[in-house]
Amino acid sequence: MSNENMTAPNPETEAENDDDAVSPTPGSGAVDAGDLETATASSRTVIESRDLDVYYGETQALDDVSIRIPEKQVTAMIGPSGCGKSTFLRCINRMNDLIDAARIEGDLLFQDKNVYDDDVDPVALRRRIGMVFQQPNPFPKSIYDNVAYGLRLQNKTENLDEKVEQALKGAALWDEVKDQLDESGLDLSGGQQQRLCIARAIAVDPEVILMDEPASALDPVATSQIEDLIDELAEDYTVVIVTHNMQQAARISDKTAVFLTGGELVEFDDTQKIFENPEHQRVEDYITGKFG
Amino acid sequence: MPRKDYQQQLTELRENVLYMSEVVMERLRMGLDALEQKDDELAWEVIEGDDEVNELYLELEQECINLLALQQPVASDLRTIAASFKIITDLERIGDLATNLGDYSLQADQDVFPEVDIQELGSLTLDMIEDAMMAYDEEDTDGCYEIAERDDDLDARCERASELVVRDLIETELEENTEEEVETLLQDVSRLLLTVRDLERIGDHAVNIAARTLYMVENDDELIY
Repeated sequence: MSNENMTAPNPETEAENDDDAVSPTPGSGAVDAGDLETATASSRTVIESRDLDVYYGETQALDDVSIRIPEKQVTAMIGPSGCGKSTFLRCINRMNDLIDAARIEGDLLFQDKNVYDDDVDPVALRRRIGMVFQQPNPFPKSIYDNVAYGLRLQNKTENLDEKVEQALKGAALWDEVKDQLDESGLDLSGGQQQRLCIARAIAVDPEVILMDEPASALDPVATSQIEDLIDELAEDYTVVIVTHNMQQAARISDKTAVFLTGGELVEFDDTQKIFENPEHQRVEDYITGKFG
Repeated sequence: MPRKDYQQQLTELRENVLYMSEVVMERLRMGLDALEQKDDELAWEVIEGDDEVNELYLELEQECINLLALQQPVASDLRTIAASFKIITDLERIGDLATNLGDYSLQADQDVFPEVDIQELGSLTLDMIEDAMMAYDEEDTDGCYEIAERDDDLDARCERASELVVRDLIETELEENTEEEVETLLQDVSRLLLTVRDLERIGDHAVNIAARTLYMVENDDELIY
């Protein structure tokens, strides 16, 4: 994998150093350091935000968000509309750079490197942190070319057929499309198109896959296939998913972060804990539907 | 179904569980009275009344299933439904044990071993169920722990009662009795031991109710098993 302008730390020293990672000052954010320690005790941190604020013009979209996202697990972000969960997701691979009015304060670290440092190339960053959107967005190209697109851009065309096949298998789509690779990606069903987009994302071998409501436009069968796939993807990738569907978050994620109005991260913990016995009454009220 | 109705349904579920407990406790009182008064009519009323308890159980089970399927509850709502689902099973079993008391009453012609105070044991179990249900109603966790402690006392009393009966039976010189008298004595002893065992089990069900209530209120499974 090319690190380009991002510097990947040595995994072994990283693991040793993780315990010493700086915790946000207790009480400085909505989630205290105790919560963070609990949430990340068993896995290395890949993404970490420290006191992250995001503004769109005068409007504050994220308020002092501190969180550590563990490696090769599924982390779900839930909360009401406008709570900032998608904003947070888009900060991770600097998709918010595309919005002129967006202003970011605080730190957002990927593999211990602040992604907003001047020497970070956003394009290189996005190769390591792939993204899948709400609406499937295959290119108007063949199935094969959709998957090969990123690889060709990076001149990784050696064994291209094999890499395309692996990506399609990784996205649980190969068996359905192996005899029609030259046909347009747009001719696939919605669920297949979304899996094609996932194949396109994993073809370039990212470390993290961000998903912004990846199944909200799909029927229950296609949703179930995507959810099964997310579970499999977490064996090789760190998955961060924004979803409005709390039951989906409960089904597929290891950790859940609950954002509430004002861009505040109120609670971050094991998914089972969040959905069986959350610490905060506001989270309880939100997930039980008493507050929206 | 809107979430407002859902909250109303959760409230109704708890009210219905409390109602079921009142019906079951009434059956238990009647079973104990039938035993004490050798009242066959009352005994039959308990036995035949078990259908009502079973129907209540099935209705409440369906209420829980509907809430789970249609509302996909989480957090305290989920714990309330899960706890209620288990508690109604305990109440249904207490109803069954109350009918056993009715059965024993029909079979018994006379009190044997009057030194074994069945009414006192029955009163203790009734109090335990009543207090366990009060803890469920009022979300009283201290009350839950108390029930568990009181069950130790009930168990000890039941064990002592059983030992007393068995010891007395061993000391009885059976050869001085006719074959028919021996047969009657064995049946009476066996029935008394079963009565004590059933009351001890009712105490266990009261503890189960307290344990599930503790889980419901505080997500604490300390008293479960």
